[in-house]
Amino acid sequence: MKYINHNGIFSTCLLSIFVFLIASCQISEDEQDLISPEIDNSFLGAFPRQCAVIKRGETFVFRAVFKDKVELGSYSLDVHHNFDHHSHSTEVNDCNMDPVKTAENPFLLIESLPIPEGLKTYEAIMEITVPEDVDPGDYHFMIKVTDKEGWQTLKGISIKLD
Amino acid sequence: MVLIMFIESILLLSLINPVPSGENSTNVQMDASPIYAQLQQQKDSTINKETIKTYELGQVTVSDHLEQMIKEESSNISFVRKDFLRKNRGNSLMKTMERLPGINTVGIGSGTSKPLIRGLGFNQVVVLTNGIKHEGQQWGADHGLELDQYNVDQVQIIKGPASISYGSDAIAGVIDIKDKSISDRGSQGGSLILNAKSNTAWLGASANVYGRREKWFYDMRLSYASYGDFKVPADTVYVYDFGVALDQGKVRNTAGKEFDWSVKLGYVEGSLKNTLTAGRVYMKSGFFANAHGLEPRNVNEELHDSANRDILLPHQEVGHFKLIDQFSYRFEKHLIEADFGFQLNERKEWSQYVNHGFMPPNYPDELSYSSTLERSFDKKVFRMQLRDEWFLNKHQLQFGLSGEWEINEIGGWGFLIPAYQKVGFGLYALDKFKINEEWQIQGALRYDHSRIAIEAYQDWFPSTEEQEEQPSDYLYRSQATTRTFNSKVWALGFNYNPGKYSFKGNLGTGFRVPIAKELGANGVNYHYYRYERGNAELSPERSYQLDLGGTLKEDQWLVTFSPFFNYFSNYIYLSPSAKYDYLYGAGNQVFNYSQSEVVRFGGELSVIHQINKSLDVELLGEYVYSEQVSGDKKGYTLPFSPPPSVLLNTTYKPLWTLGLGKPYLAVDYRLTASQNQIVPPEKMTPGYQLVDLRFGAEFNVFDSPLQLDFQVRNLFNTRYLNHTSFYRLIDLPEQGRSFNISFQLDI
Repeated sequence: MKYINHNGIFSTCLLSIFVFLIASCQISEDEQDLISPEIDNSFLGAFPRQCAVIKRGETFVFRAVFKDKVELGSYSLDVHHNFDHHSHSTEVNDCNMDPVKTAENPFLLIESLPIPEGLKTYEAIMEITVPEDVDPGDYHFMIKVTDKEGWQTLKGISIKLD
Repeated sequence: MVLIMFIESILLLSLINPVPSGENSTNVQMDASPIYAQLQQQKDSTINKETIKTYELGQVTVSDHLEQMIKEESSNISFVRKDFLRKNRGNSLMKTMERLPGINTVGIGSGTSKPLIRGLGFNQVVVLTNGIKHEGQQWGADHGLELDQYNVDQVQIIKGPASISYGSDAIAGVIDIKDKSISDRGSQGGSLILNAKSNTAWLGASANVYGRREKWFYDMRLSYASYGDFKVPADTVYVYDFGVALDQGKVRNTAGKEFDWSVKLGYVEGSLKNTLTAGRVYMKSGFFANAHGLEPRNVNEELHDSANRDILLPHQEVGHFKLIDQFSYRFEKHLIEADFGFQLNERKEWSQYVNHGFMPPNYPDELSYSSTLERSFDKKVFRMQLRDEWFLNKHQLQFGLSGEWEINEIGGWGFLIPAYQKVGFGLYALDKFKINEEWQIQGALRYDHSRIAIEAYQDWFPSTEEQEEQPSDYLYRSQATTRTFNSKVWALGFNYNPGKYSFKGNLGTGFRVPIAKELGANGVNYHYYRYERGNAELSPERSYQLDLGGTLKEDQWLVTFSPFFNYFSNYIYLSPSAKYDYLYGAGNQVFNYSQSEVVRFGGELSVIHQINKSLDVELLGEYVYSEQVSGDKKGYTLPFSPPPSVLLNTTYKPLWTLGLGKPYLAVDYRLTASQNQIVPPEKMTPGYQLVDLRFGAEFNVFDSPLQLDFQVRNLFNTRYLNHTSFYRLIDLPEQGRSFNISFQLDI
């Protein structure tokens, strides 16, 4: 029976090393920001929302609220055509899509914008003019926001240019 | 959580205790043969295989000479043999090896995966086949290794830096894949393997013939596999908030096929041996159609769901050709070995053209690539290594020299890695000194020099929203850059083998030369929607690691514990920033290649207990902790950190056989903790429990052994997420239940 004892000692040693390893690891867990920012475009006055229709030749105002538990970083907007239905929005509901077609002069917008330092909430407001001569049809409106640590949240919204 | 699991399992193990000792079911030999004789035995091709004593303990079959090797290497080394691979066969070799503590995989879908050793992978792990480093590790998580999983006899795994013998990249470890050793004089034979898996409707076959006359020998293998879309236990998966309905849980377009061949021709005469091996692996496999990378996609569901073996867009295609010559010659007290290898890795990624960022809305006809060729790589690698092992009384000296030349060419409308050329050489010396029967120490030094010349790459489209374009709107995604790197590494180790215990320790450094992507990337990776910015000033990654190992081997116990502590002075890390870039990044988040100090520690525990002649239990545990201790992401972990995990196994090998040979029944129960230590853009992954079942036996068919093995993987069809899977980011669960069957007939 002496072997059992031996094993007991041995496993206790192993166990204590493991205990040490596991115990020593929780050094700085609660200090880090592990949460991505949020994009809120559901409040009254937020625009565009899923399935929104925008008139060509007119100016609309992009409005959304970004929130983060620690500090916001920056944001970016991207509007590109989806005439071939290649991509899907990130949203739950579908919109009625026009038939698939070939792009000729699609509207393209890429913007990267800063957010003032030290903010946990920021309301982004930006005027966007859609030229008259761009192709009408289905588009994607992508909103991306980061926080200070580089966590990103994105929303892809389906819109229509009329 | 983990702690409780460990205590429980250890208590459990000590409770179910032994039948009277003295009645040993396993015959464990521990004779310490002189190193030279042992090495001779291991490398001598003419050895009669019957004389190598093997025994089975739990899931592992160990032979004396492998055990001896383990005792004489100060680094953490282990082996798996072909019977383990056969009984546990997964969708790829790496998936099969995932059962081992400290090994995880990073993969996509069913057919492809790459190894992670203690949480590090990609270019930090070296994979060798027939002595030559397998090139193809530097691509992302969505690519696998081009290997024929049937063409493996034995795998040697080194956890921890092994840069001394393997050079750059062996910073986290080595997976050394070996095929069969030479058969006996005058022998001839073959084998046929048939494989089916219910989840993916996998059908695989592999045929092998081999033979040897007096001095000449040959070995040929042909393998084929075809599989359908893999199934997950879910009707709907959510890509962001967008719900994708799955037809009967089938993940659209993840089918694939594989066709491999290899031919080996050898000559052996006395102490001279030469083997020439040629082989090719061809793989074609689809990516989940509803998400290309991380982008939700609209697809023609009817078309995709009408057949589940078709491979539509997007998909990847890989052809990997190898030609290897291995030479060895023994004279007096030397063993000279020389390996030469040529590899051609052709990879193509096919995907519908989508105009991201500033790309034109329609694909221009004048481009020389097909509109569906998103990327192609064409990489040629020449490699050679020379080694002299010199056996002097108590010293075993080893001198080595290696050289490589790599040419990488790119194509397709997408850009990820620049074209480049790389040359390098390395020199090393190693001394193992046997002080007495119990103690052995070793020391080693290595020097490496390499030079990489990266080619410039200019966009084929202008990055502007204006109608009028300027020449400067055609951006350079990569600048012509040349860098040279010099690295010196060292290692010190000991082995102490007093009777039933054995201890080892190794303190060493490892290095990794930055790859072209890390130095020269300057474009958007549309799999992840991030703008990756390389840094031409990066220095070689350097790691310092202390590895310890303790083994207790008794009549009915085999306990191995291998903790490690690791420090990186300049880990190369792709660090996410808070910024977006308009011009080069087309509005995407900027990720910078940067270097930071990293501390890692952890270990593996393996306890195997033979309860009686027919029953044994096994516990395998793994734990890794990583933390960046400087840089932008100070305090954060590293990407792809595997969560702690424990595997409990019971194997029953009945004494009655009913005319069957070696019947067995095994149950694996895996408990994986949640992973809450993450770094952007990862997500926290909940823990899970999995049960696998295996059983099988050997039959005799016309005097030839037929081995039959069954597996039920994920017995309870558990829905779970794997933290290290590429599809984790879009919340796609892992494969559901699968019934696997394998026949192997040896003639």
